[in-house]
Amino acid sequence: MISVSGLTKQYGDRTAVDDLTLNIAAGRVTGFVGPNGAGKSTTMRMMVGLTRPDAGEVRYDGVRYTDLSSPARMVGAVLDARCMHPGRSARNHLRALAATSCLPSDRVEQVLADVGLDTAADQRAGGFSLGMRQRLALAGALLGDPQILLLDEPSNGLDPDGIRWLRNHLSAFADRGGTVFVSSHLIGELSLFADDLIVVGGGKLLAADTVQGIAARQAVTVVVETPQPAELVRVLTAANIPVDVDGDHLVIRGSTKAAVSELAFEHGIRINELSESSPSLEDSLLDMTSGSAEFSPA
Amino acid sequence: MMTATSTTIPYTTSNPPTLRTRRDDVSAVPGALHSEWIKLSSLRANRAVLALTPMIGGLIAWALASSSTGSDLTASELLIFPLPLVAMLATVTGILMFTSEAQHGTLAATLIARPARWVIVTAKAVMAVTVGLVLGTTAMLSGFAGALLGGVELGDSSAIASRAGWALLYISLAALIGLGVGMIARHSAGAITGLLMWSFVIESLLAPALPDGVVHFLPFSAGYRLLAAGPDFDPPVTIVHELARPQYALIFGGYAVISLAIGTLLLYRRDTN
Repeated sequence: MISVSGLTKQYGDRTAVDDLTLNIAAGRVTGFVGPNGAGKSTTMRMMVGLTRPDAGEVRYDGVRYTDLSSPARMVGAVLDARCMHPGRSARNHLRALAATSCLPSDRVEQVLADVGLDTAADQRAGGFSLGMRQRLALAGALLGDPQILLLDEPSNGLDPDGIRWLRNHLSAFADRGGTVFVSSHLIGELSLFADDLIVVGGGKLLAADTVQGIAARQAVTVVVETPQPAELVRVLTAANIPVDVDGDHLVIRGSTKAAVSELAFEHGIRINELSESSPSLEDSLLDMTSGSAEFSPA
Repeated sequence: MMTATSTTIPYTTSNPPTLRTRRDDVSAVPGALHSEWIKLSSLRANRAVLALTPMIGGLIAWALASSSTGSDLTASELLIFPLPLVAMLATVTGILMFTSEAQHGTLAATLIARPARWVIVTAKAVMAVTVGLVLGTTAMLSGFAGALLGGVELGDSSAIASRAGWALLYISLAALIGLGVGMIARHSAGAITGLLMWSFVIESLLAPALPDGVVHFLPFSAGYRLLAAGPDFDPPVTIVHELARPQYALIFGGYAVISLAIGTLLLYRRDTN
């Protein structure tokens, strides 16, 4: 398990990460979501010792990253897929990383094959598309056959095929018992394979729950079209059910289609149309983070 | 076309993590050295520097030998004349060993792979010295051959070993200063421009204005003194010899140690992007 406790990072007057405490369960895919400037990348950099926290710490099964005897065998990280020398081939990039981590050089050929770059291994990385760079970066993270993958926006620059490939790859990794902690702004994409979600905004933890739990945090909406709106509003208000009037339609939150229809029947109110909509995960997340977005459309 | 590949990554295990010991770090140094060698040898620019060095060495010594009719310069003295220029190549290579990593973001991957910063610094320092030794040896061999081809006498061959030894120390320390300055600046263009400006312009301008006692302590003025061919040899910047070569070596080496120490301290304290 990864334990983040009291993690704080200040840049001048701005608090990038504010007393963040969370646990990331082993053997699950945990999505890390939040608007731009929420502190996701800073948190991930602190998780691997690249950025020094002002307070707090991160532990992997009780051990700090910088105290791990063989960090590459425990954690594989992709924080920026552009991080490779453009003049160096994919194979040499990985050979250098493997040597630094004291890993056998045959792992290089294995991970090149795993990410489908074996045929481009001797091409210089400067000629790679962003999608190929993402694959190469993932290959670097897999070199030590780690138990945990930390990935910061790994689907950036990937086309739909590439996103599917990544999703399958990460799901397969998790299916084998690996832990995946992945940040992404593609919420819909994340909901396809994440088990849990950690939502941050303004450097603070906003929510940590299963994907279903997060989605269920916003109430179901019932929309009613009735020729007797005033009567139905009175009945709903008397039952302590909040209701908004939108022309001929009443928009009701915090109730269900069955409950509204029951009330209307009991009071002899005619209903022309009754529908119920569940909020999307995206709606729930946007609702949660709306107050903490760094930049918002006018 | 991108397709989902079948995964062949070995199944992960759940062994509890073990704590890093000093022994783990020490045993990681050979791997870090191998990694530095791969990084250095896999770039065209470094191979080009290695190919250019014998040409520079041979050409400079040959041109000086050809135009030195009447002077008493010999091949055993001329062999070190290409060294100041080749030392600049070693310095720039030392700078780029760090700054290219910092600027292309591979420093982050390196430090994620090996969080013990001193292991990385040690490997880079050893590789910088190796670069100095290889470039220096190549330049002197080609300089010796170029001087003989230029028609000068062999000279006192018994002094060659000592002269070459001091010259190799000079170029190795120059490469280490480059690495140290690169670690401090983290920016290729800034570090290269700053160091060349200091070496060729600022120190040259300062030297005539400062007392001799102070000039001896300027880094590259002290470094040049290591190249003295003999008692009557004027090094590239003519200054009265007051200190012995070991003392100049200590001064030049001191700058290398200080720049590396500051660079290492900053590597521990700074955040890495």
